[in-house]
Amino acid sequence: MTELKVVGKRVERVDVRAKVTGGALYAADVQLAGMLYGKIVRCYDYAHARVTSLDLSEAAKCKGVIKVLGPKDVTQKEYNASVLDMMVSADMRGVLGDIDDQSIFTDHVKHYGDAIAAVIAISEEAAERAAEKIKVTYEELPVYMTAEAAKQADALQFRPEKPGNLAFQLPEMAFPDNAYAWGEVDKSFDEADIIVEDTFYVPKQKQCQMEPGSYIALYDDQERLNCWTSTQMPKLVQKKLANLFELPMTRVRINATVIGGGFGARLGMVLEPETCALAMAVPGRPVKVLSTREEDWVTSPSRHPGKYWMKMGFKKDGTPVACDAKFENYKGAYYVDASGTAFTTGAWLGGMYKFDSLRYRGESYYTNQSICGAFRGYGNPQTNFVMEQMIDRGCAELGVDPIEWRKKWHKGVGDDGWCIGVPYNSCALDECLDRAAEAANWTEKREKYKNQTGTKRRGIGVAVMNHTSGAMPMLLEHTVCDALLHQDATVTLNLACSDMGQGSHTTLRQVAAETLDFAYEDIHIATGNTDAAGFDIGAHASRTLYVGGGAVKQACEDVRRQLFERAALELEEDVDNLYMEDKIIHVKGSSNKSISVQTIADQGVNNFMNPETGELIGQPGQIQGYASFFPPHNAPPFGTTIAEVEVDMETGEVKVLELVNAHDVGRAIHPGVVEGQLDGGAQQGLGMALTEETYYDDKGICQNNSFTDYKMFGPSDMPKMTNILVENPDPTGPFGAKGVGEAGLVPPVGATANAIFNAIGIQILEAPITPEKILKALEDAND
Amino acid sequence: MTSRVMRDFDLLLPESVPEVLELLADHKDNCAILSGGTDLLVALKFDYAVDNVVSLALVPGLDDLSFDPDQGLSIGAKVTIADIVKSQDVKTYYPALWQAAKVFATPQLRNTATVLGNIMRASPAGDCSLALYALGGDLQLKNASGVRDVSLDDFWLSYGVTARQSDELAISLRVPPPTAGQKSAFQRMTRTTEDLSKINAAVSLTMADGVCQSARVAMGCVGPTLIRLPKVEAMLGGAEITEDLLGEVSDMVAAEITPIDDIRSSADYRRKVAGILVRRVINLALTEGNNQ
Ligand SMILES: Cc1cc2nc3c(=O)[nH]c(=O)nc-3n(C[C@H](O)[C@H](O)[C@H](O)COP(=O)(O)OP(=O)(O)OC[C@H]3O[C@@H](n4cnc5c(N)ncnc54)[C@H](O)[C@@H]3O)c2cc1C
Repeated sequence: MTELKVVGKRVERVDVRAKVTGGALYAADVQLAGMLYGKIVRCYDYAHARVTSLDLSEAAKCKGVIKVLGPKDVTQKEYNASVLDMMVSADMRGVLGDIDDQSIFTDHVKHYGDAIAAVIAISEEAAERAAEKIKVTYEELPVYMTAEAAKQADALQFRPEKPGNLAFQLPEMAFPDNAYAWGEVDKSFDEADIIVEDTFYVPKQKQCQMEPGSYIALYDDQERLNCWTSTQMPKLVQKKLANLFELPMTRVRINATVIGGGFGARLGMVLEPETCALAMAVPGRPVKVLSTREEDWVTSPSRHPGKYWMKMGFKKDGTPVACDAKFENYKGAYYVDASGTAFTTGAWLGGMYKFDSLRYRGESYYTNQSICGAFRGYGNPQTNFVMEQMIDRGCAELGVDPIEWRKKWHKGVGDDGWCIGVPYNSCALDECLDRAAEAANWTEKREKYKNQTGTKRRGIGVAVMNHTSGAMPMLLEHTVCDALLHQDATVTLNLACSDMGQGSHTTLRQVAAETLDFAYEDIHIATGNTDAAGFDIGAHASRTLYVGGGAVKQACEDVRRQLFERAALELEEDVDNLYMEDKIIHVKGSSNKSISVQTIADQGVNNFMNPETGELIGQPGQIQGYASFFPPHNAPPFGTTIAEVEVDMETGEVKVLELVNAHDVGRAIHPGVVEGQLDGGAQQGLGMALTEETYYDDKGICQNNSFTDYKMFGPSDMPKMTNILVENPDPTGPFGAKGVGEAGLVPPVGATANAIFNAIGIQILEAPITPEKILKALEDAND
Repeated sequence: MTSRVMRDFDLLLPESVPEVLELLADHKDNCAILSGGTDLLVALKFDYAVDNVVSLALVPGLDDLSFDPDQGLSIGAKVTIADIVKSQDVKTYYPALWQAAKVFATPQLRNTATVLGNIMRASPAGDCSLALYALGGDLQLKNASGVRDVSLDDFWLSYGVTARQSDELAISLRVPPPTAGQKSAFQRMTRTTEDLSKINAAVSLTMADGVCQSARVAMGCVGPTLIRLPKVEAMLGGAEITEDLLGEVSDMVAAEITPIDDIRSSADYRRKVAGILVRRVINLALTEGNNQ
């Protein structure tokens, strides 16, 4: 490849100035003339109840109130806030059994914080005060907080079409025996010399994005529904709202505002349906709905918690012969991502090691928890916590080094990837492991920490992961981009890809500049308006750079092709005989025959007539590149983390001393952006492993839906961290890039658990691994 | 649930202590004093309703933090946690207080939160309150008719309830001057670094010739208020502090506490680590807790 000029450089991020100066306009900052405020009334007394009476009359009389709405005053259509159903064919949707089971307001409360009614008023204060006057009485119902409780024969059924409260299991039609599998697992176990088996628990982790949900909607005088939202998926939300309110897409417009963090919490719809329903009730007036943190917590999705059983068999020489696993997740009150995560949790498992045979079952059970959905990693962190601990237990029994074993048995180029039948096309995991081991002093420390006796004991552990760039072939991956060449030879890209802080608008711009051989400053990305932009799935599955970048590259190549074609006409030369340098197209071998891009661009727009000759000057038509891009693959990122911890044997407290992350990123389009993703991912991975969990009491009331008692790793908790970027260009990624948005979160989870195992010789089966659990395990081991 | 809209109340901005006292006398229970506000505003966002809030923002003369070898330490009502961290005198003569202030919350909070506010909140987890409990101190409570001194030993009555009358303003806290051989320390355990304590302990020991003359041992998050451990104090008083004694002390601690299960930890865990924490904080006092 020729030398890269913009790709690989630490250019200034497009969003950085606005964000550090406070200039970034979030949805909550948007003020519109005549704006009204909506307050949603939620049930905070019960997690499961039937509304026996709803009296809106007192609220309606309050000062400043415009309208009070109950369940019957808004659309009765049910919906599914997730967008997965739009990423598969109608047939597949049927096979998966995806259903619409949410409504704007409900008379059957299924989780703490379910929405009952709403007030629209002239101020936020008036809306809140009136909302307090709404009188609701309830009939309390038994709560089912776990899969184990929900599947009991006498449990109340959440949905008639989902008997046993089993929202989803891998469907027999696509997955014989309801399993994602290869080989004959039961037979393979007969060949195993060593078998390890256990049941784990993975927690209900929350994304904790900084911006709580904020929305505005306006049903305008053209009878168009406008919605201001920081969704990660503007085009799919546009279509979802069009479906829900039965409008053509031309009458629904999403204004995508600056996203204050997503991590999956804004994948699909959150409070867009409620806000739009309020706006439809007061045509011509914008309605703003702002969530408190506590409200955002229970209305946006979390990671899927649940029980995760796993059994692995190995031969004496280390050969992995069989892996059997089942993840029963505590889905929450509504269907949303019931199918997706239940499947991918197994896909990541299947994509990691060369077991002779493997069988994974994934089941989602309705519970009275708040909903689960997308969260950075999408099932991968859960698998990492379980799979990587089981591998280390196997290695301990085999007496082999965990890194050596992993190098020998991980899948690589040519092996089936996370999707059976789609082989990996690139993999640099060995180099990741070698470089991480060296940077972390792995061999020396493993030896040193063997026979410790003190109060403070150290441990070092490793984990690896495979992930994806886009969800192809499981889900649709498609981005449309057009690239408009202005008369001054700068380019505006028009596309719907969102930047939720991961830096995608910066890296997409770099891809455009590199492809065009223009300067970074010559490119602008126009986003945020679904009226103008073509289709895009949205930011999920580490795909924006990979798929969006593919679209940008193709659209820019189209611009380049057109430039060269015009230059060829003007210079009366063959296209193949031209080259570009500093935005001037030259004829090879002829120093004086050239035309500038600027001239072509300008003449295309200002196609004036020469007054003397009467002929048009230059070639007419503004150049616009276009791409409707479907990626050929999913460029698998691989990565490893080595974690070092110190455990206090008297108190069970864990201190994370160091993380070394080495990731196969294909190519780092912007190294700083990649490092930022790995840093931030590690922060969430450590939290999942050690501190983060949503707690409910026995009535299903959430105990920690705020930062007071939901503990994330803060700056002072973070360890020393080294990020190693292994660049092994993927054959299908733009300039070889792979997705890095989720990868960084995954291996710190397993590596931290394994480091604790290395320090204390015991595996803690439930995440988060709190001091309370460690101390209990140490005591149990002494008994 | 919290609200996005602050509750209605009158914000009163007196400009002198007498004015404050007048307002307190007028409004009594229907009134809250606003100092740093780091506890009060959180409560107002939740379920605490009061019609009048008396701010100390414009009241002069309450930010004195002074040390005198004979008089001891005086902490005015508006002295912040950050002021404590910055004080070389506190660091030198009252290590327990300094250590509690050092790990207290976050820089932003430390700049706003006051020491007296921490005491007035009467939380069983209060960090600076706990260190001061071990060090001992008298609060000056003032109302329109005069001033009275209340020892911290008698101040916290039950969860969130204190000996302060509704018309009284806490003016300052006086901590006795350091005595020869006095050593003190504070330690806490949290879920993440920046967090409220899930259990904390503070000690003040008076040592002479390797023998502990007297001890004050205080713990938090193990009962409805901060507590002292009289049996442990008795075991330490007059004894040479050996590893064996610390083992016995550690065992005794569990008998003196009544922890509960809550969101931050479990009663069981607190019982298990309380003795270890006390042993550690005593060792910390002996090694690093010198008051000179
Ligand atoms: C994010 C966060 C982290 C925190 N971390 C910690 C921590 O690590 N450790 C810890 O101990 N606490 C912590 N706290 C609690 C709080 O910061 C402390 O209790 C603080 O010291 C309270 O002081 P203040 O000045 O803010 O009090 P305010 O909120 O102003 O007042 C607290 C109470 O005392 C009363 N009051 C205040 N001053 C007087 C006075 N002079 N006379 C009479 N009554 C008075 C008020 O009316 C109110 O009832 C934290 C709080 C938050 C929000």
